[in-house]
Amino acid sequence: MAAPMELSCWGGDWGLPSLHPESLTVMAYAKFSGAPLTVNTINNSWRASKGDVPVLTSEDIVISQPAKILNFLRKQKYNADYELSAKQGADTLAYIALLEEKLLPALLHTFWVEAENYCSVTKPWFASRIAFPLSLYLPGKKSREALNRILLTRGGPPLYSLTEVEAQIYRDAKECLNLLSKRLGTSQFFFGDTPTTLDAFAFGFLAPIYKVCFPRVQLQEHLKQLPNLCRFCDDILACYFRLTVSGHSPAGQDTADANLQKLTQLVNKESNLIEKMDDNLRKSPQHPPRNLTTLKLAAGGEEGSPLNRLSP
Amino acid sequence: TLCFQAFLQMCNLPIRVVCRANAEYMSPSGKLPFIHVGNQVVSELGPIVQFVKAKGHSLSDGLDEVQKAEMKAYMELVNNMLLTAELYLQWCDDVTVEEITHPRYGSPYPWPLNRILSYQKQWEVRRKMKAIGWAGKTPQQVLEDVDQCCQALSQRLGTQPYFFNKQPTELDALVFGHLFTILTTQLITDELSEKVKNYSNLTAFCRRIEQQYFEGHNKESSATVAARSAKRSLLR
Repeated sequence: MAAPMELSCWGGDWGLPSLHPESLTVMAYAKFSGAPLTVNTINNSWRASKGDVPVLTSEDIVISQPAKILNFLRKQKYNADYELSAKQGADTLAYIALLEEKLLPALLHTFWVEAENYCSVTKPWFASRIAFPLSLYLPGKKSREALNRILLTRGGPPLYSLTEVEAQIYRDAKECLNLLSKRLGTSQFFFGDTPTTLDAFAFGFLAPIYKVCFPRVQLQEHLKQLPNLCRFCDDILACYFRLTVSGHSPAGQDTADANLQKLTQLVNKESNLIEKMDDNLRKSPQHPPRNLTTLKLAAGGEEGSPLNRLSP
Repeated sequence: TLCFQAFLQMCNLPIRVVCRANAEYMSPSGKLPFIHVGNQVVSELGPIVQFVKAKGHSLSDGLDEVQKAEMKAYMELVNNMLLTAELYLQWCDDVTVEEITHPRYGSPYPWPLNRILSYQKQWEVRRKMKAIGWAGKTPQQVLEDVDQCCQALSQRLGTQPYFFNKQPTELDALVFGHLFTILTTQLITDELSEKVKNYSNLTAFCRRIEQQYFEGHNKESSATVAARSAKRSLLR
């Protein structure tokens, strides 16, 4: 039906398919609506963007902003909002505006402006995925843009210093999280049982806050006090992003798989051992204690080496 | 400005509107409008609502938590879309800027101050548009966004008299303020007001609030003062 579509976006870590909120939104929407999207994460190549990510390429069409990408997907008949009523569609727009106005400044701040976070986590992570020498320039540019945006949209008087602006945006973000939590309540997604555009946007904004390990995490701590939002993120990750084919699974997933393999081998060995024990017991019933002690020692020895292999 | 008047009148609080050229400087936050009560001065919708609430008047007490969340979300939508679109169309569309906005904004001041101040304001607004990504939008795209926003508001309003059924809330005041301004202000083209007029329940909503809260307070001067202050509010 549709031409093959490719999405270029930032990769992920800490269990997320992407660290970038807008990329996450698009990826989540594609999963919800069943759009067949090949995801190319940006790595150390010059083909990488100048910062205008995520980008959808389909034949000759190149589209860059999340809203436009979602519109394009809807026109291609991949519509996650099919069952929504008109009023719910209106609510979607309103809540997205709320997220962008209240939560996004704090998100940008946590990632790009907060000095400790930026220097220890964000900058190295992004720099490692951009080709040299662009890696020296692009993270700094994004940081300046983020600060600029925060100051221009929220920094007017009576807030005169950066600390006051910061305090205000975090207050707003926490209020926004509370409002989202109230709206979600106990349902699985924002509009019942099927995920929609609003769920994609909410996931895109909430998941990075929830999962990325920063030194300064006041927003994450607040989010963790809202269990239904945490459950919302975990559910989407588990249902829609765990079963990814190796084309775009993050490095974390690979090591988890390797660990899982080793664990399975260990369990298999143990079960083989137990079978041997059973056989020995059956064959020589008059010497049970000696056999048990020797087998226990053997088991201890076996356990020792796999554990050593697993430990980092 | 209208949204504040509407809000205050919905709370049944008497107000007097005064237009001053240096209003922006008198305001504690630099933003218009502001209210002056006794020896207190409060500006911007959020703090004014809090202030009025502290004095014992509130319009949204009857709402439950989810509805309050919805109300805040819709208020953000209006701020995000309608306000930014208004600013864009006034200050980033070259034709409008030259013919309407510059003369109006600079009218209280002598030359060359009027040109300098309006260029400064224009530069500020353009910087903001660039930061939030609206600089690349054409006027046509902005009008489409306004249309989408109006559609959302219209769908939310439906056939009810107010957004949250029988009682007016801050959201009604805010929406009324913006829509009335759009409908009554002269720009180069009527495209913006046409977009709003497409939604009959929105125009009926505006007319209803106008009749109930503004004309009810006699004095045709209050309506014209409101219209004049509406023009000034566009200059923000």
